[in-house]
Amino acid sequence: MSAAGGLISLLVGTVLLRLVVTGTYGRYVRVGMGPWLAVAGVAVIALGLVTLVRSAGPQGGAPVDREGTGESQGGGPVDPEGSGEGSAVLEGGVPAGAQVDGADGDGHHGDSRMGWLLLAPIAALLLVAPPTLGSFGVDRGTQVNIRAGGAVLPPLHPGPRPIAMTLLEYGQRAFDHDGASFNGAAVQLTGFVAGTEPGGFRLARYQIACCAADAAPVVLRVVGARSVPARDQWVRITGNFQPGGGEIPLLAASNVVEIRAPEDPYE
Amino acid sequence: MFMRTDGYIPVRSSSREVNEATPVESRRMQAERRDRREQPRHRRAARPVDAGIALVALVVVAAAALRPLLDHLLDRPAVAHWATVFVAITVQAMPFLVLGVVISAAVAAFVPAGFLPRALPRRPALAVPLAAAAGAALPGCECGSVPIAGRLIARGALPAAALAFLLSAPAINPVVLTATAVAFPGRPAVVVARLLASLLTSTVVGLVWARTGRDELLERAYRHRGAEGPPLAVLLSTAQHDLLQAGGFLIVGAATAATLQTVVPRGIIDAVAGAGPLALLALAGLAVVMAICSEADAFVAASLTQFSLTARLGFMVVGPMVDVKLVALQAGTFGRRFALRFAPLTLVVALVCSALVGRWLL
Repeated sequence: MSAAGGLISLLVGTVLLRLVVTGTYGRYVRVGMGPWLAVAGVAVIALGLVTLVRSAGPQGGAPVDREGTGESQGGGPVDPEGSGEGSAVLEGGVPAGAQVDGADGDGHHGDSRMGWLLLAPIAALLLVAPPTLGSFGVDRGTQVNIRAGGAVLPPLHPGPRPIAMTLLEYGQRAFDHDGASFNGAAVQLTGFVAGTEPGGFRLARYQIACCAADAAPVVLRVVGARSVPARDQWVRITGNFQPGGGEIPLLAASNVVEIRAPEDPYE
Repeated sequence: MFMRTDGYIPVRSSSREVNEATPVESRRMQAERRDRREQPRHRRAARPVDAGIALVALVVVAAAALRPLLDHLLDRPAVAHWATVFVAITVQAMPFLVLGVVISAAVAAFVPAGFLPRALPRRPALAVPLAAAAGAALPGCECGSVPIAGRLIARGALPAAALAFLLSAPAINPVVLTATAVAFPGRPAVVVARLLASLLTSTVVGLVWARTGRDELLERAYRHRGAEGPPLAVLLSTAQHDLLQAGGFLIVGAATAATLQTVVPRGIIDAVAGAGPLALLALAGLAVVMAICSEADAFVAASLTQFSLTARLGFMVVGPMVDVKLVALQAGTFGRRFALRFAPLTLVVALVCSALVGRWLL
């Protein structure tokens, strides 16, 4: 399936590159990985193109195209155990080139069949483009321990405009001397609604280190909002720190704006 | 858990035949088998090359036609969560997989056959620790080191040494150690403990494999000895082959990890939070199930503050060496029966080493 294999590579590379160009990759991995994804995409596209061209060319299906076809002499692995019932593979495989060839013919076929599975994530990305992680995982995963490290932060300087910050920083400030560092400043937070609470709702945003598989949410409680947005709705909230939240920091909202999911949905 | 990978891997009759062959079997019988195996190859060669392309096109068209059905599928939060994690693991792994595949193909193309066995020490007692230490030179995560180790074995490197390299590279390279230092600020002991425990685990597993392991279980690695021809042609065909093969198994692993992350509530793990052997076991299990990149696991470990440092060390030692994605990749590169023995061995050794080093340093 050398030609089909080339086509699969071409698809994989194209989809990777498309993820980078459209910025959609931010839903799945941390934004810093963009250049690496682009490099990988270009490399895989090149590989697929060359494979396609070679398989279509006059020497298509030539020995070099078939893995293991010509390998015969020398350099074969030597079984350090020497004997044992299993040395048959080596006995058969190493000296006789054709033996490797035959076994490989089938093996090659079977292994390449695994390559078809690469079409699964491609189909998922092209057809439905899985969304950013939502509230489903908030209650299931381990939440970020905001207290960890016991960060001590410099005090804010209240100004005419609210100060934008991450949910993690908000939480750390909340636990740092009971929120003394807020200094009364208004803050602006962006996250999604992770469910309702008495008197308000929960605001959450995931931290990721590498990809969405290692995401852990930071959760706050928002009170004072006039209405509660739908679950999983992204919001930008302006408000002030309110003490007395216990283990989950409190935010007294003065303004809640519903927004689209940001390009970089994770912190 | 490891059995989960079972159903995905096609068992081919030909490989079974080879395995059952005994050393005393005559050359004639082997030759007959060879002939039998040759036949289907000719039949395949006669098939038009374009059939594969047509199939790919068919899959794409069918998927596009089914799109309206799929749109509503993602309305279910659990399905959307699964799909996102599945795609995330796959996308995240691609750059590392490409790096590993390219290095592996370069070894196949430019390292002459017979060079590795001559150049490397033959005694396991020397070769294994050296190979484990050499893992520090490969930046990246575990997806990249699997094809490289497979190629080293195919090129005649001592399997025990290549396996030690396979285990240590994703755990002790500078990128991962730096990430660990960043995740545990002000706690250099964690970085040192991770380095030591991972090196120790890789070396011990390598030496155990050298003594008791059966290298014939690495059938797949040996079978893909690589094509012959001009180096560039070998480079390309090997890279293409390895990418599809390893990529396919990566998909199996990513799907398994996404399923486990979606289905198994992590609250179960929190129930045994604290110190002691149970916590260590729980976090090792979490590492196996989550299958996160070794460059990221330190941050997750740092967030698991309800567990002892030793348990979190276990999480960081086990994760880069044994997880569902990795076991699938190993099964695809070395062979299924190998992976089913190697993963439990590694897990046990990693747990013991983490407990010892954690007790000593943390």
